[in-house]
Amino acid sequence: MATVTFDGTTRYYAGNPTPAVDTLDLEVADGEFLVLVGPSGCGKSTTLRMLAGLEGIDGGAIRIGERDVTNLPPKERDIAMVFQNYALYPHMTVADNIGFHLKIAKMPKEERVKRVREAAALLDLEQYLERKPAKLSGGQRQRVAMGRAIVRRPQVFCMDEPLSNLDAKLRVQTRTQIASLQRRLGVTTIYVTHDQTEAMTMGDRVAVLRDGILQQCDTPIGLFSRPANVFVAGFIGSPGMNLIPAAVSGESATVGGMSIPLTPAQRAALTSDRVVVGIRPEGWSIGSSGVSAVVEVVEELGSDQYLYCSADIPHVEVAESAEEREAPHAFTVRAPGMSGWHRGDKLALTPQAGAVHFFDAATGDRLPD
Amino acid sequence: MSAPESAPETRVRREHRTPPRKPRPAPTARGFSPLRIVGMAFVWLFTALNVVILYWLVTAAFKTPIEIFNKPFHLPYTWFERGDPFRNLRYAWENAGFGNAFLVTVALVAVSSVVIVAVAAPAAYALTRLGVRGSNPMTNFFAIGMGIPFQTLVIPLFIGMADLGLTNNLFGMFLVYVALSLPFTVFLLTGFFKSLPDELEEAAAIDGASPFRTFFTVMLPLARGGLITALILNAIGLWNETLLAIVFLTDNANFTLARALFTLYGAASYQSEYGGLIAGVAIVVLPMLVMYILLARRIITGLTLGAGK
Repeated sequence: MATVTFDGTTRYYAGNPTPAVDTLDLEVADGEFLVLVGPSGCGKSTTLRMLAGLEGIDGGAIRIGERDVTNLPPKERDIAMVFQNYALYPHMTVADNIGFHLKIAKMPKEERVKRVREAAALLDLEQYLERKPAKLSGGQRQRVAMGRAIVRRPQVFCMDEPLSNLDAKLRVQTRTQIASLQRRLGVTTIYVTHDQTEAMTMGDRVAVLRDGILQQCDTPIGLFSRPANVFVAGFIGSPGMNLIPAAVSGESATVGGMSIPLTPAQRAALTSDRVVVGIRPEGWSIGSSGVSAVVEVVEELGSDQYLYCSADIPHVEVAESAEEREAPHAFTVRAPGMSGWHRGDKLALTPQAGAVHFFDAATGDRLPD
Repeated sequence: MSAPESAPETRVRREHRTPPRKPRPAPTARGFSPLRIVGMAFVWLFTALNVVILYWLVTAAFKTPIEIFNKPFHLPYTWFERGDPFRNLRYAWENAGFGNAFLVTVALVAVSSVVIVAVAAPAAYALTRLGVRGSNPMTNFFAIGMGIPFQTLVIPLFIGMADLGLTNNLFGMFLVYVALSLPFTVFLLTGFFKSLPDELEEAAAIDGASPFRTFFTVMLPLARGGLITALILNAIGLWNETLLAIVFLTDNANFTLARALFTLYGAASYQSEYGGLIAGVAIVVLPMLVMYILLARRIITGLTLGAGK
């Protein structure tokens, strides 16, 4: 077991003057489950591959425990990796796949077989040991890939979107299995995903990256309740936070004709007279007065109901790409399930106490509470 | 309409339906386009032509010269009536020295093909996978080698080999075959290795395998289809190779089948033994034809595998 330290780690790709990962400073504690999350192209996979030794490091260093592994080849780093498409050797049986490293490490056959059986038992793979990967289902292949990692008892697990090839239901099951397995084994784990639900549910801490730069690294609760900037605020949480630009005059910001007061510390930290007001869908109260909005789409989930509303106020788009952007509605509001709202209904919204986040419109950073 | 009402109706309809004999094709695949008709006609014509030629070859191998010229498309009868149907085959086998040539050819083709693939596979792996500096220009260099007709090289090759004392020598022939087959084989196999996923190599690297071990235990078994294709294509090509064998081999004892057939051609046409000559051709051609028919599926999937994915 060991800690993992990224110390100003930087990676450039040929032909691109901006680094894919830019002076990353990150400490991962012994036995911690750290999730790297961000939109595609943010550098999360590159970070993981640098740790695994599959990618060169152009600046800074990576340490596992006290050992500087910056220039070590993968096999000397004592890490195991689970790939997105599992990368199982198709011509080997499950047992051979799991035991391949032990065989290369020249472990005596008896012990090797024992270790492979233990790993298979842990993952419920015992009856498949003699099969080839092609004869397994997606979930079973995923478990073989996990088995190949845990049989080594490495210092660090690297997982690169290991659930993205599973269907939705299996993904939720496997999510909890991996999280509980990791806690039981106590191996330091770096887990890459683009799915913020996975990040929030699995990680001890979550590191949010964007354009190669670390935005925030905190516990899931910390990220959710105190996002460090507009990007994190919009990225974490589903549906995303409502982000509304507003002008500050005097002691408060004005949103849709309603004024929301700022604390003196917030006003002091502000670099201009513009803020971004962030309110999560569950942070609104539907009442008789406040910001007026019209329901455009009702998403009924049974337990909750999300109302996508239009209103005569501007809003901030956080995600750049079309598929990550949610529907172009000004507001998302959570209502209790089966509330009976319909398209075209008029709402009056007021933010609940303590549910308002303020960000500096110029820098995007969170204003102190 | 509510669900409970509609349920009995669907059940009734399910009992009465019969499955179609052939599921309907997608609307795009239906109907005949002019291109399709011309294409089909061309393919069938080409196939028919080849079948006729094959029929002619096989039947002529059992005919007398008179039959061959007067009744080219009839079934053979003269030798059958005389109770010696395999007379032509016996003539060819005895007069051309096919017995020895057969052994020579099998050995030469087998050893050459295996060595070609054994040399080309690591070369192709290194060119595509190891990130060697200048690997792209080197791959192109091999491709250029494919574009040079070997006929233009025959005379310089002969002079060079003669200086080394390797003409009329099966080892010399083997060297020439391996050297001239490498460009195509390396090129074929680079396409193959390129199509294999990167993650497997990365997984092997993390599992601690050296590049050498990765090549032998991970990549080579995965490229098996490609290696077999390369082996078969080389075997067929070398089996049929005639020009180089005529140039380089002068001694009967070293003759390959194709070279022996060339000698038989001279002797048989002098004696007007056209039936025997064609029987000789059949002996040389048919083994490869059988091999091709048996392995055609494998060859085609092998040739196109690198192109897809």
